[in-house]
Amino acid sequence: MADTPQPELVTITLNGVDTEVRKGQLLIDAAEQAGTYIPRFCYQNRLKPVGLCRMCLVEVEGPRGTALVPSCTQPCTEGLVVDSENAVVHKAQEGVLEFLLLNHPLDCPVCDKGGECPLQDHTVAYGPGESRFVEEKRHYEKPIEISDLVLLDRERCILCARCTRFCDEISGDSLIEFVDRGNGTQILTFFDEPFASYFSGNTVQICPVGALTAKPYRFRARPWDLEAIESISMVDSVGSKVSVQTSQNQVLRINGVDSDTTNHGWLSDKDRFTLQAIHSEDRLRVPLVRKDGELVEASWGEALELVAERLGSVRGDEVAGLGAARSTNEEAYTFAKFLRSVVVTPHMDAQLDDALSDEFLAATLNRAEINDLETAGTILVWAGDLKEELPVLYLRVRRAATILGATLIVIHPRRTGLSDVADHVFTYRPGEGADTLRRLKAGDGPFAEARQALDSGPVMTIVGRTGGAEDPRLAESVAAFARTLPDAAIMPLARRANVYGALDMGVSADLLPGRVSVRDTEGRTALEDAWGPLPEGRGKHATEILQGLKSGDLKALITLGADPVGNHPQPALAGEAVESAEFVVSLDTLLNATSARADVVLPVAGFGESEGTATNLEGRVQKLNRIIPPPGQARTTWSVLDDLARRMGATLGAHDAETIMKEIASIAPAYAGIDWALLDWGEGRDGVVLPGPDGTQPLQHMPVETSVTATTGRFTLHLGRVLYDNADVVRNSPSLDVLVQPASAAFHPRDLAVLAVQPGDSVRLAGDYGTVELAVRADESLAEGTVYVQANMDNSRALGASLIVQVDAVRGEGS
Amino acid sequence: MMDPAIDRVLTRWSPERQERARAVLAAYPERRSTVMPLLYLASREHGYCSREAMVEVGKITGLTSIQVESVASFYSMYRRQNVGKYVISVCTSISCFLRGADDVLAAIEDETNTPDGETSDDALFSVEHVECSGACGGAPAVAVNWELIEGVLPDKGRALCQWLKDTQPETVLADEMQALFGGQQSFDWGIAEPQGATSHVPAFERYDSAGDAS
Amino acid sequence: MSFMDTIGLGGFKGFAVTFRQIFTKKVTRKYPDEKRQKPQRFHGRHVLNRYEDGMEKCIGCELCAGVCPARCIYVRGADNPPENPVSPGERFGFVYEINMLRCIFCGLCVEACPTTAITMTQLFEMSVTDRQDAIYTKNELLVEPDGTPNHSQPAGPLIDLNELKLSDGWMRATSPAGRAAYEGIPHWPGSAGAGVRPPERGQRSDGGEV
Repeated sequence: MADTPQPELVTITLNGVDTEVRKGQLLIDAAEQAGTYIPRFCYQNRLKPVGLCRMCLVEVEGPRGTALVPSCTQPCTEGLVVDSENAVVHKAQEGVLEFLLLNHPLDCPVCDKGGECPLQDHTVAYGPGESRFVEEKRHYEKPIEISDLVLLDRERCILCARCTRFCDEISGDSLIEFVDRGNGTQILTFFDEPFASYFSGNTVQICPVGALTAKPYRFRARPWDLEAIESISMVDSVGSKVSVQTSQNQVLRINGVDSDTTNHGWLSDKDRFTLQAIHSEDRLRVPLVRKDGELVEASWGEALELVAERLGSVRGDEVAGLGAARSTNEEAYTFAKFLRSVVVTPHMDAQLDDALSDEFLAATLNRAEINDLETAGTILVWAGDLKEELPVLYLRVRRAATILGATLIVIHPRRTGLSDVADHVFTYRPGEGADTLRRLKAGDGPFAEARQALDSGPVMTIVGRTGGAEDPRLAESVAAFARTLPDAAIMPLARRANVYGALDMGVSADLLPGRVSVRDTEGRTALEDAWGPLPEGRGKHATEILQGLKSGDLKALITLGADPVGNHPQPALAGEAVESAEFVVSLDTLLNATSARADVVLPVAGFGESEGTATNLEGRVQKLNRIIPPPGQARTTWSVLDDLARRMGATLGAHDAETIMKEIASIAPAYAGIDWALLDWGEGRDGVVLPGPDGTQPLQHMPVETSVTATTGRFTLHLGRVLYDNADVVRNSPSLDVLVQPASAAFHPRDLAVLAVQPGDSVRLAGDYGTVELAVRADESLAEGTVYVQANMDNSRALGASLIVQVDAVRGEGS
Repeated sequence: MMDPAIDRVLTRWSPERQERARAVLAAYPERRSTVMPLLYLASREHGYCSREAMVEVGKITGLTSIQVESVASFYSMYRRQNVGKYVISVCTSISCFLRGADDVLAAIEDETNTPDGETSDDALFSVEHVECSGACGGAPAVAVNWELIEGVLPDKGRALCQWLKDTQPETVLADEMQALFGGQQSFDWGIAEPQGATSHVPAFERYDSAGDAS
Repeated sequence: MSFMDTIGLGGFKGFAVTFRQIFTKKVTRKYPDEKRQKPQRFHGRHVLNRYEDGMEKCIGCELCAGVCPARCIYVRGADNPPENPVSPGERFGFVYEINMLRCIFCGLCVEACPTTAITMTQLFEMSVTDRQDAIYTKNELLVEPDGTPNHSQPAGPLIDLNELKLSDGWMRATSPAGRAAYEGIPHWPGSAGAGVRPPERGQRSDGGEV
């Protein structure tokens, strides 16, 4: 990373005190840093200033005497003399507030914002107390639903344009705007079109009044009821900082917390509203044991005794573990230690063979941080649709491309959320990625300009599997090429919340805790000193585990928050594997397709219910905090595993999560020196990027180019993810569940003509792993010969991720 | 190179307006800058600035529909409701007001049986009061589809409405109406305008301001 | 030392006070047969009022719970069903509970209430034999649509339910700036049962300045 240049300082006189501030910094920010808060409504530090509300007027001395200027649009220059607290300024503030309150309904007692409302606070602090306005205020229909998640009350709006500017500048979904003018100005959507943005919740959070409110939070609590704690969103692997707010042991709201390194305060609606799944009726509350084919409630003692007995009755290496990608590092570590040192098996995987290789994700050379986007000259995104998979990372890339002016190159089988702001967009047919890469490298034809842009660094490359059916080695080939570019920084993508942490903890067939390869004899010996003898050899990956279970080589399966039946690219194999396994035990928060077929289901604590750390996609360790107790008899994962180990005659030494972290720090080289105290409030709020100051990374993975042979077949499948799919957390969040659209099969219009089908007709897709029937849709952005299907939907899951699919039109009666 | 999305919209328009729109698009470096002239063209195409018109302009300019509506609703001369064949605008600003514009407005409202701001049932007239028409010297001023008549007194206003009702001209011409119903003029406007207005949508296409590429 | 020397003149002085009291009017009342007239602003049991058309005044804003120094009030709001509204406006008090064992009868809830939904009455006889019964729910607190108050115990020699109709007369200072002119306005919408409270000394019923 380039060193940040030393900012030039100037001296301004603020309220009679000389203060050194950064040259060109906005006065409102400079004053705040100097300890003088200037009231504001329209100004938001992540949005461009507009000087709209006039609340931040201050008196500035100029060549023609003093004048009131809005401090949010005034850059600091040498010798600026500012008064923000004199009588003239106070009069102006009183005037502005009296004006803003002319049409404000003052229904604070019923308003969700009441109690945390900047308009209320400023009125008390700077307002005139009484209004001279006695006429009728303007009236609008009280809250109108502008989307399934957001309500708009136009009477309360003070027209600060924060929401419209967020949509315009940050998210790019300009679906709400000012309509009409003068006294009639109001925020509206276009007729009956909904405010269907993945980021709509952010407008609710930044609204300085209660004009935009969130439906899931409506009337659930008042701000003074809420207890809040900072944590990390566990919806995806960006590690967005959130404030988890509860009342009466119920998580009622999740707000974004401004963090320079990750989310800039923004969240996706999935981050924000899947909190409903925490309190789902279907949460597992007691252990379940299968008796006569039915899962029935059992005591912890009975369930754990059974698990210990069954696991003890098979050879260690006949047991396999899947999961931990949604657990904390502490839980994942306990899981890995349990499997390797108590059960003594090398077979485990945090992934389900649906992303990239473990070593590439955990320990690639030239690994990028999210903040490399801020300085990048060129950004190459060859990954899934970021807007659908990692929405907050999408915002950061969008910011780099629009506000910071980086050249953005997007390569994906279809049009993505970033296409609108990208400088170069290329689409290709899945299976022909290697050829596309070759042409990009050579700057062939349409790629010439993009290739040229890749020569002006720093180049940040975001690589991932564009779809479930794509060969994961393509992403590594892209990374191998990207490494040769100037000032290269590479970010290999996986989606699940703590998959990077789980790999770092050694929940992998290839890795030991702390980014050590299983082939590393030195690292292995060091770990054996702490854990005792380890199983020999390399373990099996998810697909191999499932094959092993099916063939009988493996006998038992332990899943931790994983659902191979629902999520593995070969659903039929996963289903058969779980059926033919002698014993399956699931540790989970909700019953899923896999745990519903398990022999024992153990309820564990989920988000907000257990404390620990998580490692995000840039390798940043951050602290997750606990604010509510787990439901019913559910326990934290590490304590369940510790109990289980004791019943199996071993000990894990997992007494509490913080002790586990200390053990991790002493064992895992990349985590050396990491301590909860380092990650909590204050200095370390942004966490630590691994390897930390004391850490080392024994494994340095060099991405290699693999020649992937081009595939043949009339149609290849692009199995792309969408944000609202049939995932368990979405299904259990009623507000989001209604937004899920069933999967369809999209083709290029010319393919539709060849197939002789119309949009709305049905086609049968037959791949190597399954067959589904889906409705047809036209998508011009696809290459011919591609069929695009949304992944992880109830009606598309059975298809699996087969690259080549056979497409047949389904002819109904009489057609 | 034209975006296929633009073509898909424009091919629905009449050939001359299509050509006009392409000229406008060619004249601005940024597509979103064309939103205002295109709104006039779309209004012509749809009769007024309808929902459909705004969606089409959004597709051409790359703006979202609501951003187009935001522009369209800011300016009162983009009509978002359908209006009558003749939009009669009575100036009620200071000079006209002092010269009895209120009486003129009342007379016209009465004669057309259409209250201020509304459209007659037969969709022939829309009556509205407007702010300064820029004819203070010839107050009170009345405009029919933006063709200006100066010095209109209440009875002349009635006569104007009657004349429009009886003859229903396709094109209204300022000079012609001035001669028939006008009174005192601010000054001699010079060469007579040969072309009148055929619609309430101002015919800005004739001027370079709408982006004459030629 | 004689007896007289021991008690001295002081003894007679003391008894003189006693004798004098024999002839004064007695202060003691035969409670509960005979009840004292309580001051108008007495802080007794709370009631939740209704408007005269039967609508609940409580909007579930939780300001009472927020201001309560004893943390004895628990309120939750909910969306007002539009077809069958409980209170005017968007929100109504869905849950309303006061733990009378914790309550210190300070009246801050009444002062905080923006709709005069909660007021205090003159009834203070609330003894219970079960701690659970001391938590008053909306059933007991809310008056009937005709203004009849509810109480967890039946009327009897101790309990005069009519006292629940006598709301206290707390007047909020409606002017944040504290201008005297605003303090005289009895901002008191009519309540079912209690009606409109007559203005006190220094107040005008028409809302005008004194």
